[in-house]
Amino acid sequence: MNAPLNRRNFLTRTAGAGLVLGAPAILRAAEGGSQKINVALVGFGKQGKVLFEAMSNIPGLHFQAVCDIWDYNLKAAMAKVRARQGSVPKGYSDIDEMLATEKGLDAAVVATPDFWHSPHTVKCLEAGLNVYCEKMMSNTIDGARDMVRAMERTGKLCQIGHQRRSNPRYLYTLHELIQGKKICGQIVNINGQWNRAVTASQDIGYNPKLSIAPEVLEKYGFANMHQFMNWRTYRDLSGGPISDLGAHQIDIFNWFLGVAPKSVFATGGHSFFKEREHFDNVMALFDYDTPQGQVRAFYQVLTTTSAGGGYFESFMGTEATIDISERSAYTNIFRESSAPSWDELVSRGYLKKGTAPAAKADSGDAIKSYESAAPEVYQLPGDLNKPPHQPHLENFFASVRGEATLNCDARHAFESEAPIYWVNPSAIQKQRIELTEEHLTV
Amino acid sequence: MNAEEPKPDTLALSLGAMLARFWLAARAIQTGIEKYAGSTLSETAVSINGQPNTYGLTDGAATKGYALANYHGVPAALYDKFAGEPFMAGWALKLFDKTLGPALILLGVTILLGVASRISLFALGLLYIGLTWGLILIREDSGVAWLAAHMILIIAALALVRYDRLRILKKW
Repeated sequence: MNAPLNRRNFLTRTAGAGLVLGAPAILRAAEGGSQKINVALVGFGKQGKVLFEAMSNIPGLHFQAVCDIWDYNLKAAMAKVRARQGSVPKGYSDIDEMLATEKGLDAAVVATPDFWHSPHTVKCLEAGLNVYCEKMMSNTIDGARDMVRAMERTGKLCQIGHQRRSNPRYLYTLHELIQGKKICGQIVNINGQWNRAVTASQDIGYNPKLSIAPEVLEKYGFANMHQFMNWRTYRDLSGGPISDLGAHQIDIFNWFLGVAPKSVFATGGHSFFKEREHFDNVMALFDYDTPQGQVRAFYQVLTTTSAGGGYFESFMGTEATIDISERSAYTNIFRESSAPSWDELVSRGYLKKGTAPAAKADSGDAIKSYESAAPEVYQLPGDLNKPPHQPHLENFFASVRGEATLNCDARHAFESEAPIYWVNPSAIQKQRIELTEEHLTV
Repeated sequence: MNAEEPKPDTLALSLGAMLARFWLAARAIQTGIEKYAGSTLSETAVSINGQPNTYGLTDGAATKGYALANYHGVPAALYDKFAGEPFMAGWALKLFDKTLGPALILLGVTILLGVASRISLFALGLLYIGLTWGLILIREDSGVAWLAAHMILIIAALALVRYDRLRILKKW
């Protein structure tokens, strides 16, 4: 389906897909809906609910079946579907039974724990379904490779849930501002983070009366109910915070730069949650060679403090810095004082002038010759006024209808995710890893 | 009572009782009504260089509205947290979710009209204790403190109720 990876150009294909087909496809999907698509929901935990809410706004979907090993989730899914479409979907606790029984399914939306992503996606693809699967593709790089191979072997669609790839704000920033108007000049550094407080990172509790039977848990790979509820903290079940939270943003680094990093060096530890298998805080440095020059990217995921203002990606250029986030409130663009004027861009609607932070009064501790002039603040001209996952799902269903091309199919997602699989090994080994074709290819 | 002690200012106490009653009624009624609130989003595509943009960037304006279909007793984000608590019985959570909005409106109206004020205020207090217990379970300490302020007002209203002249079913 696609040529093997080349570090310098592999992500340009993804960028092209988004530029040429992605945005119009989103608009068409929103208007469309004439062709009914029969959907199976596989996994209806927290993320499954988020995706369902986003899908509730998309016309033409019929939720035919739902599958979850936890009866509590299964009943919730059936009730929500019934409330939305007026008919009760068929409920299953086992995906094999669902695939063997249900006829006429067109697509599956997989939102199971990470270590089930690959087996569930492969099963669905081989059963002839198109699949939307949450990121991270898998808890192992080999699991992710299996997904790419299954997609290409079956010829079915497989979209991975890097939903920022279909977000109009991200598409506009990349194609119009960075590539089109080149407002950053040369991008020289990237900084990204997802920091959240200890209170937001606690283990998820459960009602013992609602527990799943031990034999069922064991059948599906969970040692106990705590592990079922908190699989994100276990090394055999997930990639931990760097894949759980970081994958979305490191994907943006690679997508925006259009290349994969050539090395990663990471560090991590158990700063607060000492009993967890995965590190609670991880910091990673990526080195890139881009056509414009070298770029270094720093990424941190801290589950022990909200310091630094939540989650965002910051692209630092010689003429401007773009702070972008899935949350509009964290998005700002800063023009260097030495950069060409943006007045024309503002007058033509490409940017909005923002409110500059209040200037600090002169004081004795500032040495003026060491400081740069304060940059001007600008903002994007518009917003996404939908749930953040909706455009990506719209793109998927429009692609199922043959009206669009996937914005993040499994191969492109793999090419972007592959470096992330090497962050934890680097942190554990305390060694820089030079990323070769072997590390990054299917 | 000592003859030298001043007589209570019954007018002020009566006004105080009514103010406490009206505040609690307003709080309960509007909180109950807000359970039926929803928003409708209208979007217009942002124009760039004189043309509507093709990326899907929009200027959105949310319009608030009320409908029975919008009803949400316990907010979804909190519902899942409550459901995961071992002390929280599923049936009780469902019952609370279904009745919270109507109960707030009903009690708010009876308190506003002064219908069986003692019973109405006591029932509202019990409802707030139920909410407080749930927030303790999920460690929402600021919410607990906020509800405690409501409880103080309810107790004040109960203490002043006999001075409140505008009531129906005064015995209760």
